[in-house]
Amino acid sequence: MIVKVRNLVKRYGDLIALDHLSFSIKEGEIFGLLGPNGSGKTTAINCILSLLKYDKGEIEVFGEPMTPEAYHIKRNIGIVMQNVAVFNELTVYENIDYFCGLYIKDKNLKKQLVEETIEFTGLNEYRNFRPKKLSGGLLRRLNIACGIAHKPKLIILDEPTVAVDPQSRNKILEGIRKLNSKGATIIYTSHYMEEVEQICSRIMIIDKGKAIATGTKEELKAMISLGEKITVESYDVSGEQLARLKQLPNIVSVEYSNPLIEIKSSKGKNNLENVLEFIKKENIPFGKIYSELPTLNDVFLEITGKELRD
Amino acid sequence: MPVYNLCMRIIRKNIPSLLIYLFVFVGVSIIVSSSSANPQKAVNEFTRKKADIAFISKDDSPLIEGLRNEIGKIANFIDIPDNKGDLQDALFFRRVVYILRVPEGFAQKFIAGEEVFLEKTFVPGSASSAYIDLSVDKYLNTAKFYLEHMDNISQEGLVAYLNDTLSEEATVTVLPARTKTNLSNLAYTYNYMAYSLSSILILGMSAIMMALNDKDLKNRMSCSPISGTKSNLQFFLACLTFSGAAWLVQIIACFILDLENVMTLNTVFFIISSLVFTFCGTALGYLIGSIVKGTEAIPAITNVVVLGSCFLSGVFVPAELLGKSTLKIASFTPAYWFVKANNQIAQLSQFDLSSLKPVFSDIAVIFCFASAFFALSLLIRKTKRYN
Repeated sequence: MIVKVRNLVKRYGDLIALDHLSFSIKEGEIFGLLGPNGSGKTTAINCILSLLKYDKGEIEVFGEPMTPEAYHIKRNIGIVMQNVAVFNELTVYENIDYFCGLYIKDKNLKKQLVEETIEFTGLNEYRNFRPKKLSGGLLRRLNIACGIAHKPKLIILDEPTVAVDPQSRNKILEGIRKLNSKGATIIYTSHYMEEVEQICSRIMIIDKGKAIATGTKEELKAMISLGEKITVESYDVSGEQLARLKQLPNIVSVEYSNPLIEIKSSKGKNNLENVLEFIKKENIPFGKIYSELPTLNDVFLEITGKELRD
Repeated sequence: MPVYNLCMRIIRKNIPSLLIYLFVFVGVSIIVSSSSANPQKAVNEFTRKKADIAFISKDDSPLIEGLRNEIGKIANFIDIPDNKGDLQDALFFRRVVYILRVPEGFAQKFIAGEEVFLEKTFVPGSASSAYIDLSVDKYLNTAKFYLEHMDNISQEGLVAYLNDTLSEEATVTVLPARTKTNLSNLAYTYNYMAYSLSSILILGMSAIMMALNDKDLKNRMSCSPISGTKSNLQFFLACLTFSGAAWLVQIIACFILDLENVMTLNTVFFIISSLVFTFCGTALGYLIGSIVKGTEAIPAITNVVVLGSCFLSGVFVPAELLGKSTLKIASFTPAYWFVKANNQIAQLSQFDLSSLKPVFSDIAVIFCFASAFFALSLLIRKTKRYN
């Protein structure tokens, strides 16, 4: 195991930020920590990094207890903080060089690693720019470059795509996959379920400091009763028709928010076909009709009773 | 040493703004040293100037003729009609500064040893008048001396002796050696360091502190394999390097501008006081960097703190011209003690323990300020960390 967390408890006065949180991360995984804002993702990361003292529990990194003085462990960890942490006085190159220099003493190796990282993050054109002159996306890339330049075995990315445009976000996600393919184990926290779904091999959903579900995205989706979500666009449907629609087999709920009818069904066969037949039989005029499989948001909703983005 | 190199990089980025203060220092020092050249010239050179006087004589004797010739060496004779109104007007309108009237039979009575008087009228407080007075006294006193010691001497013979004696002149050479003026100008240059050095140190230290005090960067650094102790040591080493370099540049500038006094003991003490003041400026910069939150506020705070203390302490205006209450307030700033120490060093001509004691006590006060600033900064940082 690269990271092992057991019964982690962290309190801020009366508020319990982490409530007996336990998880473990295997080598080569992209482990996603998914949860709404304030769920305890960053607190968990800060405890793993020994930036925060915790009240109870055990943390092991690379098989050894993690302490603030465990510098030999820290040497193999790369961290990309939620807030961009770079020096405004230094250029892009100087920032990466500085952070790489905290881990690498050999000057030639450091130079080579810095050049590779600049190339990897696509910052070559901006190497002499100061951070204040970079766009939000480029700044995030610089933040990542500073965290990964020393080629760590474990990379922790705490919401690295906050306030980033879609193009830069895709580049960042692509980069994270590349880092993983080169052998790095990655811990990725986010409240964007699409991102987590897209790149993580295993996901832990947390809420109010508690782990509410852990597994691959398929495993998580299998945990819930929701099998399919069918949406129909219609401007003319009566309440009686909606009530009859709800009587169909496997249909769990029907909600109408003009012009969309949202039908949720449990797992079963021919759900979409049954709905189409009903619409035809009732002569309900409709525009579009489509079916979706459940998302992590649906998993979160079913388990906690609230939306992931609430 | 990544943290050390980082601090040095931050300083290098701030060099243009720091150089402004250095240029101001060098500029002011050049002005001071060039202005000090003029009083030096006045001390070393003397030009004799003749005063305008009126010489009215009712005695045509050779002795009085000799007196006229003697006074003529230092005065121009202006012809003015011998009436009260004209003479008063001449004095009032400064056509003459001195009127000497020799009464009839003066020489005869003088040689006979009777009590006689010359009538003189002059512009009150005039240096030229005093000079003419001295010349007249010298002539008549010398004449009296000859009359007392030589019997039966004729007036012509007496005048010949007087001319011979009074033509002797002593040559006075004023050596262009160190003078008090010279050293007090040097003290002014060192005093001015209180402004330029403090500004440079506060701006530089604050720039480093602002960068390193950022909460996210601090957390990021804590995740690195560099221990807090190592990081702090590198930071303090960088601060020492920067302060030392800032001090050295200004000291070298002082040396270049006043090569004459480089090899004096006074300079050694100027160096000691400025070095201790550099520690104090560094500690003050550390304190300000620990308190201030935004980089934009730093130049304003630097100006208020440094300019304020320098104005109060007699850096720009001599302390003698400042009021007692002002100086009392100023005594709560290290600049006051630095200026006081420098002014005392400038006055030093003996370097025994009793002469040096006040200088050392002033330097000790500056050191106490440095310790207090540093302790306060540590306290603030610790409080912030716990909060």
